Amino acid sequence: MIKLQNVTKTYKRGADDEVIALADVTVDVAKGEFVFVVGPSGSGKSTFMKLLTREQLPDDGEIYVAGKNLATLRPWKVPVLRREIGYVFQDFKLLANKTVYENVAFALEVIGRPRREIEKRVPEVLDLVGLTDKANAHPHELSGGQQQRVSVARAFVNNPRILLCDEPTGNLDPSTSVGVMKLLDRINRTGATVVMATHDQHIVDSMRRRVIELESGHVVRDQSRGVYGYGG
Amino acid sequence: MTARWTYVIREAFIGLRRNLMMTVAVILSVTVSLTLLGASLLLSEQVDLATDDWTGRVEVSIYLCDDRVCPAITSEQQEQLREDLEAQEVVAEVFYESKQDAFERFTSMFADQESLIEAIDQDTLPASFRVRLENPNLFNVIADQFSTYPGVEEIVDQREVLNQFLRFTNVVRTAALVVAAIQLVAAGVLIANTIRVAAFARREQTGIMRLVGASNWYIRLPFVLEGVLAGLIGALVSWGLLWATVPQVAGGLAQDIELMPFIGEAQVLAVGPWLLLAGTGIAAVSSILALRRFLDI
Repeated sequence: MIKLQNVTKTYKRGADDEVIALADVTVDVAKGEFVFVVGPSGSGKSTFMKLLTREQLPDDGEIYVAGKNLATLRPWKVPVLRREIGYVFQDFKLLANKTVYENVAFALEVIGRPRREIEKRVPEVLDLVGLTDKANAHPHELSGGQQQRVSVARAFVNNPRILLCDEPTGNLDPSTSVGVMKLLDRINRTGATVVMATHDQHIVDSMRRRVIELESGHVVRDQSRGVYGYGG
Repeated sequence: MTARWTYVIREAFIGLRRNLMMTVAVILSVTVSLTLLGASLLLSEQVDLATDDWTGRVEVSIYLCDDRVCPAITSEQQEQLREDLEAQEVVAEVFYESKQDAFERFTSMFADQESLIEAIDQDTLPASFRVRLENPNLFNVIADQFSTYPGVEEIVDQREVLNQFLRFTNVVRTAALVVAAIQLVAAGVLIANTIRVAAFARREQTGIMRLVGASNWYIRLPFVLEGVLAGLIGALVSWGLLWATVPQVAGGLAQDIELMPFIGEAQVLAVGPWLLLAGTGIAAVSSILALRRFLDI
């Protein structure tokens, strides 16, 4: 489902000053897997996620997502790729002037889905995330955990094959985080591949899923049923 | 209407309303530039109309000698001249204007300028043959052939008078076009800036749209439409302004100047589509240029 082959990405900070974000990274994620990408800030997690949505292109190496080679993907085809990917942000990124229902429906509206489908699919997803009774509320009326569940609903409403979550519990307290993780787990069980960047040790340790650890742009560990740190 | 068009149009109107002051500035700026553009186009129309009318009427004047510059023409010479003129293929009509006729025409033309009339008497103005040509451009054929005739004092192409008028109106028209062009560029820059501000204000929304896989045109179209709507409104207002003023002004002038045909409502109507095209075109181009780098994938 996701394949990185010897991927290197550097950022230029000045004329002779390059920062290596990812160095020779090779990773293979199968369909239906749940993968944590862990590592301290600046280890390359964010770059890893941005490469998968083709917000950025690597300097070197090849990336395949949902069967598409991102290097040769034509720019006008990028939206098609992104329809296969749901994206959950650390800061939710909900539109404040829209209701919960409208925020979720927005993701279908703007890719031109017919109204009939929107009216059928949005209530289903709101039910899945347990927010049916909040459909007409605005984001500021919700708790952080509820907002993140709306964000997950929006990412999943289009039935994407891949769900990318960038620190989805970063702004939540531990007990709320558990609720969001249960939701992600449920979505994973429907067959979606989930990749979650995090540095939340408790969550990684309690889920016991595959862990890819990055440090200064290198993959230093790739372990199935892993924990956050060595021996942790 | 499908869901996607509802979305695009709704977003465009939200943008226009949220940014009301800028929208008003854009509309005014488009209005001013297009009014100027329309005025210069109408001035061209007016000149063409007057020119067509005049070229049909202008004549070649062959002034006859009356002893002041050259020996007075004899009646045999005059008869010969008329016969030869009428035999020419390029000549459509020949009139004889006597000294008396010329004096009367002059006094009626300058009826309100007594000092001019007092300066001349019935003998001052020369008699002439006034020749209307099939094609006014063939003046030289006549001039070459008849200027050496005995009794001919001078041959004058009346189009010269018209040409002086045309040169003057050309300067005015060009000046108006240049100012209109500069204004139009200014309007385009203002539109580009407004659209950029609008896109920046909604960057959160467009960011989400990008990540959920909205196509590029779907993200941009509301902004382009926002610019085009402002341009369209500006064009309509300028058309309305021209519609309300030009026929009135032309009508007023037509009462004072009877010699010339004037443009009216038909010409103002005809210029409208061009104004709409220019207004929406400049708005679309500057909006698209403004968004090109801002909302890239």
